[in-house]
Amino acid sequence: MSSTRRTFLKSSLGAATLFSLHPFVPAFLSGTANAAVNQKTNSDKVMVVLQLSGGNDGLNTVVPYADDEYARSRTTLRLSSTDVHKIDSYLGFHPEMKALSQLYQDGLLSIIQGVGYLNSNRDHAIAIRDWHTGRPHQASCQTGWFGRAIDHACHRDGIDLPGILVGNISPPLGINAEKAIVPSIRSIDELTLHLSNNVDQQSSVNGSISNSETDNPILDFLRQSKVNAFNKSKKIAAMAQSQKMNVEYPPFQLAHSLRTVAQLIRADVGIKMYYTELGGDGFGGFDNHASQRDNHAALLRQLSESVAAFMKDLQYDNILDNVLLITFSEFGRTVKENGRRGTGHGIAAPMLMAGGNVKGGLIGSHPSLTDLDNDALKFHTDFRQVYASILDQWLGLDSQVVLGGQYEPLNILKA
Amino acid sequence: MPVPTAALVSNSQMGKKSPTESHIQVDPQWAWKPYEPCAEQPWNLRWAGHLYRRAAFGATWKQLQQALADGPQKTADHLLRPQVDINGFDQELGEYESSAAKSESAEGIRAWWLRRMIQTPHPLLEKMTLFWHGHFALSNTSVKNAQLMYQYICLLRQNAMGSYESLFDGIAHNPAMLIALDSEKNRKAQPNENFALELLQAFGLGPSHFTENDVRETARAFTGWFVMKNQSRFIPREHDAGSKKILGEEGNFTSKDAIQTVLRQPAASRFVIRKLYRWFISEIEYPPDPLMAPLEESFAKDYDIEKLVSTMLRSNIFFSQTAYRKRIKSPVEFALGIIQGMEANVSTTKLGQDLAALGQNLYHPPTIKGWPGGRHWINSATLLSRCNLANALLSDKSLYGGKLSPLAIAKKHGFSKPDSTCKFLLDLYLQGDLDSEARESLLKRVPQSTEANDYSLELNQYAQQIFSLPEYQLV
Repeated sequence: MSSTRRTFLKSSLGAATLFSLHPFVPAFLSGTANAAVNQKTNSDKVMVVLQLSGGNDGLNTVVPYADDEYARSRTTLRLSSTDVHKIDSYLGFHPEMKALSQLYQDGLLSIIQGVGYLNSNRDHAIAIRDWHTGRPHQASCQTGWFGRAIDHACHRDGIDLPGILVGNISPPLGINAEKAIVPSIRSIDELTLHLSNNVDQQSSVNGSISNSETDNPILDFLRQSKVNAFNKSKKIAAMAQSQKMNVEYPPFQLAHSLRTVAQLIRADVGIKMYYTELGGDGFGGFDNHASQRDNHAALLRQLSESVAAFMKDLQYDNILDNVLLITFSEFGRTVKENGRRGTGHGIAAPMLMAGGNVKGGLIGSHPSLTDLDNDALKFHTDFRQVYASILDQWLGLDSQVVLGGQYEPLNILKA
Repeated sequence: MPVPTAALVSNSQMGKKSPTESHIQVDPQWAWKPYEPCAEQPWNLRWAGHLYRRAAFGATWKQLQQALADGPQKTADHLLRPQVDINGFDQELGEYESSAAKSESAEGIRAWWLRRMIQTPHPLLEKMTLFWHGHFALSNTSVKNAQLMYQYICLLRQNAMGSYESLFDGIAHNPAMLIALDSEKNRKAQPNENFALELLQAFGLGPSHFTENDVRETARAFTGWFVMKNQSRFIPREHDAGSKKILGEEGNFTSKDAIQTVLRQPAASRFVIRKLYRWFISEIEYPPDPLMAPLEESFAKDYDIEKLVSTMLRSNIFFSQTAYRKRIKSPVEFALGIIQGMEANVSTTKLGQDLAALGQNLYHPPTIKGWPGGRHWINSATLLSRCNLANALLSDKSLYGGKLSPLAIAKKHGFSKPDSTCKFLLDLYLQGDLDSEARESLLKRVPQSTEANDYSLELNQYAQQIFSLPEYQLV
């Protein structure tokens, strides 16, 4: 067969039609498979965790432009009242965050201020480990809070694939689970079936699934798993090939990842937790000890425009109410500039939370710029309060199982 | 006198078993006797394939045919102690591995280990090394030192079929282990209880066979051990030489004494033998106590791993329905089985990455408890990725370069017509053991194309279908 015809067949039929279910898939298999695909344990609620790698400068993200101390401390990096997108008479968003400022005005974004933890560490590796494990100062902890939430969802609710990482970094500790295998994907294509020979329409790979239950429970389990996996692949492939474009995403890696997340949410394959990232491997792009201004501005622009496009995309399909996106970074930065037009490692910083069901507005007070801990803002909200509130109130999981402790809930979601 | 096979099949309701209950009804005496083929349980391709899946990483066609001719016991002899020189192979691979380790390439040592698994004349040794990697589960995520990780795997390999006591002792003093458990400095004034806890819980006895006091006292016995310049050193003045009480025994225990005390516990043999039962025989049910008693009794006397493995692999229960296809393949077993059958070599650097994506990142088990395995290998993403890995291995457009050819391997063994080629592939990979419906469905898909290139592609697709079968995921 000529390659042109092959290409034609491939494009006109599409992988989705090539492995449609065998017409004689037994009821006990298709039934459970459909049940698995349509898992709606507790809710359709989805969480997206967005890691800002390197220690984001919270003070130049949500800017206390009217604070004299801010202006005094940030001799070259300061942003003035005319630069920022004003939130109120004290705070404003960084100039590159116009899109998020708009979301804020629409009540789709809230800012949890002053988040950190006791005796926090200013070393990247240790601080990020603490945020990942949710068990600060426990060097021996090998699992992440996100990974444990997945194990918990698998175990308690029997969900087969509750969470994944979508992004361009090597799998962070945060997603490591003791039991579940948490996939890391860069593109949606990795969750669809690839066939050796796309020409042969007859050869449905999963055609050969037998009709009867056997005396081998793990063989039956594998048969159900296969029907389930191929069903999901089909849904995802259809979504990936759909020409439908609600919005145009900006040309950033983060936007690409979030677009993939949106497609997977729409494909409705039961994934409740997504992990993604901005800043990259190594120390991370947010770690600006020198010449911070332009680097930071570029990253915030990527953050702002990517998240806004994602929100708009979901809103278009009326599923924004089911989605909650939260950002975190391993620490904030020092209040004072360091003489090289950069900043050092700090403590407290804001977490941004976006979605159709966030309370909106400011949560908690802005930390004082004069009552400092070794030139860093003090925290008043423990980051595990945020984790716990989302796990309990949003995902319907048990935060005590996941975090190994009880944390005072925050009032961050619409009732 | 063998009992009829029917008596071996678990008698509970399918799929409703709790893993804590045991439903296996087997006479322990019979179970561990060497299997002798008989009319009810004849030696055939199916059992040869079974033995090679468990004791190796799959088989070539020639190995299966040889096993058929040799019978089960002689095949087991060969797998346990191959009558070939493995030193030359070991040395050659060792050189590559050391140089990768020296350049701190975790990816490199991972790739070389996979190469070793594929090419070794003694696959059972690698299978056991992999078992111990999952039991004494150190990760380079904690150790962050490829040389130490490589030395740790070498230690596992040296003792993989030797004495469990030597293995345990070596591991407990291994620098990578001490680093992984944050125990590089075991000062007299600050015994490391986390290290002692994992020693007892993750490695020695399993949970709940010891008290907090046992942990504290074991930690005291390990004081004096330090990691200096990547080597374990004993500093006598930092050792707490006082009396300790561990697991009911009392004395001025050193770390070595502590280990011996731990291993003397019945729970110690029990813990590791049950893990090995799950590895070699079945992960469906916990085996009943009476079944395991003879093995535990014997192992507690000599800690002889090879003898234990030999008993398991030769046994009636190993060659029974209690064991047959009662394990889910790990990603390594899945991929290497495909590669072995095709008698091919592929890039193991790429393979190491792909296996990591499937959940088995060699040198990086998820936690100190190792890979949970079994059903945990499978979710809708990993199962799909297995199908996609099979596709990539077969495709000449992937980074694997199309070195695996169903067409070529069938031809090599004298099968060239479409029908016979397909039957050959089914025999090679599943020993034809597929229920009639699945078999018919596959036979309908025998390649029809008369154009050579298309025929080859269709045959690849046929092979991919085999590797995507639920049955193929079982070992």
